[in-house]
Amino acid sequence: MDLFNNLLMGLSTALELNNLVFCLIGVVIGTAIGVLPGIGPIPTVALLLPFTFGLSPASAMIMLAGIFYGAQYGGSTTAILVNVPGETSSVVTCIDGHEMAKQGKAGTALAIAAIASFFAGTMATIVIAVLSVPLSVLALKFTAVEYFSLLVLGLIAAVVLAHGSVAKSLAMVLLGLLLGLVGIDVSSGVARMTFGFAALSDGLDFVPIAMGLFGLGEIIANLERPAERRVVSQSIRSLIPSREDLRAAFPAMVRGTTLGSVLGVLPGGGAALPPFSSYALEKKLARDPSRFGKGAIEGVAGPEAANNAGAQTSFIPLLTLGIPANALMALMIGALMMQGIQPGPQIMTEQPKLVWGVIASMWVGNLMLLVINLPLIGLWVSMLKIPYRLLFPAIVLFCCIGTYGIANSLFNVWLMMGCAMLGYFFIKIGVEPAPLLLGLVLGPQLEENFRRAMLIADGDFSVFVSRPISAVILGVVVILLLALLSPAILKTRKEALAE
Amino acid sequence: MTRLRIDLQDLLFGLFLVAVATGTLVATRNLTVGHAADMGPGYMPRVVAFALMGFGLFFTGRGLWRMRVGIAPVQLRPLLAIVASVGVFALTAERLGLAIAAVITVILASLATREGRLVETIAFAILLSGAAVLLFVKLLGLPIPIWPR
Repeated sequence: MDLFNNLLMGLSTALELNNLVFCLIGVVIGTAIGVLPGIGPIPTVALLLPFTFGLSPASAMIMLAGIFYGAQYGGSTTAILVNVPGETSSVVTCIDGHEMAKQGKAGTALAIAAIASFFAGTMATIVIAVLSVPLSVLALKFTAVEYFSLLVLGLIAAVVLAHGSVAKSLAMVLLGLLLGLVGIDVSSGVARMTFGFAALSDGLDFVPIAMGLFGLGEIIANLERPAERRVVSQSIRSLIPSREDLRAAFPAMVRGTTLGSVLGVLPGGGAALPPFSSYALEKKLARDPSRFGKGAIEGVAGPEAANNAGAQTSFIPLLTLGIPANALMALMIGALMMQGIQPGPQIMTEQPKLVWGVIASMWVGNLMLLVINLPLIGLWVSMLKIPYRLLFPAIVLFCCIGTYGIANSLFNVWLMMGCAMLGYFFIKIGVEPAPLLLGLVLGPQLEENFRRAMLIADGDFSVFVSRPISAVILGVVVILLLALLSPAILKTRKEALAE
Repeated sequence: MTRLRIDLQDLLFGLFLVAVATGTLVATRNLTVGHAADMGPGYMPRVVAFALMGFGLFFTGRGLWRMRVGIAPVQLRPLLAIVASVGVFALTAERLGLAIAAVITVILASLATREGRLVETIAFAILLSGAAVLLFVKLLGLPIPIWPR
C-alpha cells in the first residue's frame, strides 16, 4: 500500500494550483519546440534553468520534465504533416505518418500518435512508480565505493548505448570530466586550471556549455545546409480514428510502450533509441511487411508509444540513484543542484514530495498534452509557418540572455561563444557532444566519491571488486565493454543505430 | 567531398585531444599530485589528461592510417555571423543596455543567411528586442540595464 500512498502524496503535490500552472507552461513550451525543427529540448531546458531559481524544487522539476516529454508529442506533429522530424525521436514517424497524411488521413495519424503517446505516458508513469521503491531501497546500501562504480557504469553504458563511435564517445566523456575539474578543488582549496580568471573559481557553468554545444553549434551547422522548403498542405479533416484503426494500432501501442519503457531505463536511453527499435519490431511482426512505408498505422502507433515511454522512464535512474541516463537528465541533475538538492541514492527518502510530485505530474502533464495537441492542432500548424531565417536569430538572442541570466555574468556569454565554435567543430568532425555533458555534470561527483572510497580503503584499489554490490556493477561494465568487441553485437548495434 | 589519403575527421579530433591534454598537463604542473589514499588537487586532472593523451594519439594514428572521406567544406558566413553576434552581445549588453544590444545581436545573427531581407530583419529585431525586455527584465526580473547608463 506504500505505492498507493506515495502516488497519492505525489498527486496532491502535482495538483497544487501553482504546480499545475508550471506543468502546463512546461508542456506548452515542450510542444512548441517539439513542433519546430531545429530547436530541441536540451538548449530549451538550459535556457529556462536560470529562471527556475525562484521556484520551489518541485515546481521547477515539474516544468522542466514537462518540456522533455511535451517535445515528444510536438515532434510527431511536424513529422506527420511536413515529413520533417521536429525532434530526432520522431524521425521514424515521418515514414508512415507522412504517408498517411498524403493519403488524406492526416487527422487519423495525428490522433493515433497522440493517443499512443498518452497511453504510453500513462503506463510509463506506473512503471516509474512501481520500480522506484525497490531501486531506492537498494540505493540506501550504497557507500562511496558503490556510488563510484555506479557512476562509472552510468557513463560507460550511456556511451555504449548512444549514437556514434564508442571510442570517440569515451574520449568525450573524459573531456567532460576534465572540464568538470576546472575551479577550486573542494578538499584542498587550490585553484585548478582557472588560468587566473576569478569567474572560473566556482567551476564552469554547464548551461553556457550546453547552449553553445547543442543550441548554437547546431544552428551554425544547420545554416550550411541548403534551406528546405516546408509545405504544410494537408487539411485535417477528421481527428477521430475509426474503430478498425484503433484495433490495428492498439497491439503496436502496447509493444511500443513495453519496449520504450525498458530501453528508457537503460543509461544512454531516453527518447531516441526506442522508436527505431519499435519500428523494426512492428515491421518484423507484421503479416504483410510491405505495407510499411506506405502508411501503416502500426508504424505510427508503435514508435510514438515507444518514444514517450522511453522519455519518461529515463527519469528512473535520475530519481532513484541520481544517475542521468542521457544529456538531458544531466541538465536535470544540474537543476537539482542549483536548487541545493544533492542528487543521489538518498533523494527518494529525503525528498519524497519532490520525487513523487514529479512522477505524478507526468501523468497530469500527459493528460494536458492530449488536450493541447488534438483540439488545438491548428495553432501548432500555424507555428510551422515561421521561417527559419526569423527563428534562428531569435534563438541566438534568447540563448545570450539566458546564459547571462544564470549568474548575471558576461563571462558565461563568452564561454558560450567558445562552446558554439567547439560545437560546430565537433559536428564537422562527426563527434557526438552529448557524452561531454554527462562527464561535465558527473565529473565532480566522480572525483569526490573516488576520493572518499580511497580514504575508506586506504588507497587500495581492490576495494571496488571486494565489495559485492560494487563488484557486480563493475562486472556489468566489463561485460558491456567486452560485448562491444564481439563482432555480432557490433553489427547489430550498427544496424539498430543506422536505421 | 573529396577522397583523401587520411581520415581528416579522426586526425583533427586526435590532434585536438592531444592539444587539450598537453594544455592540461602544463596548466596543472604545479599542483600536488599525491597518491590514491591521499589525493592532491593535481591527481584527477593528471589521470584524465593522460587518458585523453592516449585517446588523442590513438585517433591521430588511426586518422593517418585509414583512407576515408574528408569533411564537408567550412562555410564562413554562418560561423562568423553567429559567433560575432554572441560576441557583440557580450560586449554591449551591460554598456548599451539590453534594448540596443538585442537589436544589434539579432541583425548580426540574421546575416548568417543570404535569405534575409533588410527591412524585415530590422523590424523583426526591434520587435524581438521589445519582447525580450518585457519578458526577461519586466516579467522575470533579470538585473540587466535596459538603456545605456
